[in-house]
Amino acid sequence: MKKIPLCLVLLGLAGCAQVQPWERDVLARPEMSLDNAPLDAAIDDHIYFSKEASSGGRGFGGGGCGCN
Amino acid sequence: MKDNDSFNATLAAATCALLGSAVAAPVAAQDAGSDWSFDSALLYYGESDGRVTDFSAAVSALRDLGDERKFSATVTADTLTGASASGAIALDRPQTFTSPSGRAVYTTPAGAVPLDDTFHDARFALNASWTQPLARLYTVSAGVGFSTEYDYTHIGANLSLARDFNKRNTTVNAGVAWSQDDVKPVGGLPIPLSQMLDVDNNSNKLGGSESKDVLDLLLGFTQVLNRTTVLRVNYSYSDSSGYLNDPYKLLSVVDPLTGDTLARVPIGQGPNGVYLFESRPDARTKQSLYAEVKHSFGDPVMYFSYRYMTDDWGIDSHTGEVRLRWPLGEGYIEPQLRYYKQSAADFYRASLVSGSALPRYASADFRLGDFDATTVGIKYGHGTPNGNEWSIRAEYYQQTGSVPSEQIIGNQANRALYPDLSAVIVQFGYRFRP
Amino acid sequence: MNASCAATLTRDADHWVGRFVAMASPCEVLIDHAPASVAQQVLDAVAAEAWRIERKFSRYRADSVVHQINISTGAPITVDEECANLLDFAATLTRLSDGAFDITSGVLRKAWTFDGGDGVPSQEQIDALLGAVGWHKVDWRRPVLKLQAGMQIDLGGIGKEYAVDAAASRVEAIAPGLSCLINFGGDVAVRNTRQDGQSWRVGIESCDRAGTPMRIVQLARGALATSGDSRRFVFRGGHRYSHILDARTGWPVRKAPHSITVAADTCTQAGTLTTLAMLQGENAEPLLQASGMQYWLQ
Repeated sequence: MKKIPLCLVLLGLAGCAQVQPWERDVLARPEMSLDNAPLDAAIDDHIYFSKEASSGGRGFGGGGCGCN
Repeated sequence: MKDNDSFNATLAAATCALLGSAVAAPVAAQDAGSDWSFDSALLYYGESDGRVTDFSAAVSALRDLGDERKFSATVTADTLTGASASGAIALDRPQTFTSPSGRAVYTTPAGAVPLDDTFHDARFALNASWTQPLARLYTVSAGVGFSTEYDYTHIGANLSLARDFNKRNTTVNAGVAWSQDDVKPVGGLPIPLSQMLDVDNNSNKLGGSESKDVLDLLLGFTQVLNRTTVLRVNYSYSDSSGYLNDPYKLLSVVDPLTGDTLARVPIGQGPNGVYLFESRPDARTKQSLYAEVKHSFGDPVMYFSYRYMTDDWGIDSHTGEVRLRWPLGEGYIEPQLRYYKQSAADFYRASLVSGSALPRYASADFRLGDFDATTVGIKYGHGTPNGNEWSIRAEYYQQTGSVPSEQIIGNQANRALYPDLSAVIVQFGYRFRP
Repeated sequence: MNASCAATLTRDADHWVGRFVAMASPCEVLIDHAPASVAQQVLDAVAAEAWRIERKFSRYRADSVVHQINISTGAPITVDEECANLLDFAATLTRLSDGAFDITSGVLRKAWTFDGGDGVPSQEQIDALLGAVGWHKVDWRRPVLKLQAGMQIDLGGIGKEYAVDAAASRVEAIAPGLSCLINFGGDVAVRNTRQDGQSWRVGIESCDRAGTPMRIVQLARGALATSGDSRRFVFRGGHRYSHILDARTGWPVRKAPHSITVAADTCTQAGTLTTLAMLQGENAEPLLQASGMQYWLQ
């Protein structure tokens, strides 16, 4: 896999500016992390898995209980 | 090198001489992310109309060993009581069913939607995972999971690989998960589409247990869009095979004109109607596309996600979720809204019509039906001075379903065929670092 | 005044951010809870102090004291109190490190260019330059300094941390009790805690994954300094040569950690400890542990 063309493809797909390391102050805040409340997410996933026919999306399919 | 004390003293004196007498106060520095951190939650889930009630407790531990190596483990314990709708339809007369154990009967009053016999169940689950860098820009993650209830056990494992690009502005990851579940229902495994029999008649039940295997593949892409926005897009493919039935769910067999359940006279104790156990295919393939965005508007942070799922059972679903987190004093407040909509499975039937050919697969489980669900909730979190946080979350979940009109027969039109489900969820959380 | 002497002040959430360039590094000042006029005054004072120290001690500037010393070709130079203090401090460091740290080792940069390439000089080249290295060859009788012909001094190893502390003192003089974080290219100092009790969050950049902080340190008060090779190194034959040279041998220190960060009361203390620890190579950790200060290694 050629590294540079792949980077360009990815940049092109995202169509966004490259954020420099010293500009990551906002992104470094814990509430900006996509996985900042893993326990909440696991609890929600479990509730919705047992009451609905869909599961997963954010991570693996979940489930693993006799509730569905 | 000179001995330590004189080294330290010499250095301190030299610094003093250089900077003069305006010496700074002692340093107070603390690792923001080091060693062990814990997250815990206590949950209450309560459905209306005396249905399911669940209390659960979860504790999650995360150890950051530096150099991007992390270990995490979560332990969860649940106790469930209550009953869910069994799939049989409501009737103008009381209905009697044989309990799952096959040793007793239970009755549903006239006009009420039949619920399973009340059950008590306890579940215990353990998940652990390990993450570490594999090479420059590559991270690998592996996890195992295990859970057990009195009639169900699950074991699973997962593995994923992530690669960063563009100064860590872009991450691509691929993962695979495998699990094997064993079902050993109370009273044995009913033969699909067999009739519910009298007490102590287990001729339509198989002993032993059945298993279900699930294989999941996940392809994900995370991209920093700008200084204040990050996006993640995931594609998932999931393949389940084996025993996918719910061994406790039924369908009522109804008269083609009146739509009422056919009556039956039990020998001794047993059901007073004709009910068949459900039957689902032994394979299911699901695909989903999921996207989530987090954006910061200065202090407040907004989260938005959307998921589309489709499978080979004919179910399509859309899920949209939005949350807005506002700083409030020393804490924050986060209202949230979720909307979910699914279409029914191809083999979903409100009831089975006597005289018509029996379909190969049929289920009246409302979870495979056509419904909308909305969740409204709010979370409040408060940080303590030493970096810990407690939080409280309250949500209200409401499901409203419908049965396709061509499946409504005779007197069924006068009754609520698809009971609304509503539940209150309250969660206390505490995050701390010892 | 050219463009690089400009300082900009912007507002970010609950604090001010002042930015400018000095000593070839991006510099910033984060000011907590202050009206705009005070923030501007503080920024101007910090930038002025940084540029003053750069002008005075940069080896590149014709009007700097260091340049005057380096072209003196053996003639005695009388230095002022600030310069004398720095020379005394450097002398102490040379003694504490048994000669590994030496401000006369700057001439070795003629042999080493740490640009990520694979240029490694020969032993002959290094030996030739080592003749002009060695603090013991310098005649330093405060306030008069006399170098031998061909010798040079370079205060780069201690200048930035000293500038941070000096700037912090200036801020304390004009706005006592104000909480501000001064960051000159990774050397950080905070004199007073923030009003609401929160700490300033400082990210220590990870060596292997440029752009993601390996750790976030919550600095309520005090200083942080980092020494490391994430940006300047030579890579050859599977080995990574850090840019910290041992003045006794002319070669980079062997088996040094990729990066060391130390937390101490003052930036000078923190920076000195990172430098002395790096010079210890594989014995860096015992030195850091013995110092009793908090540190992070990569």
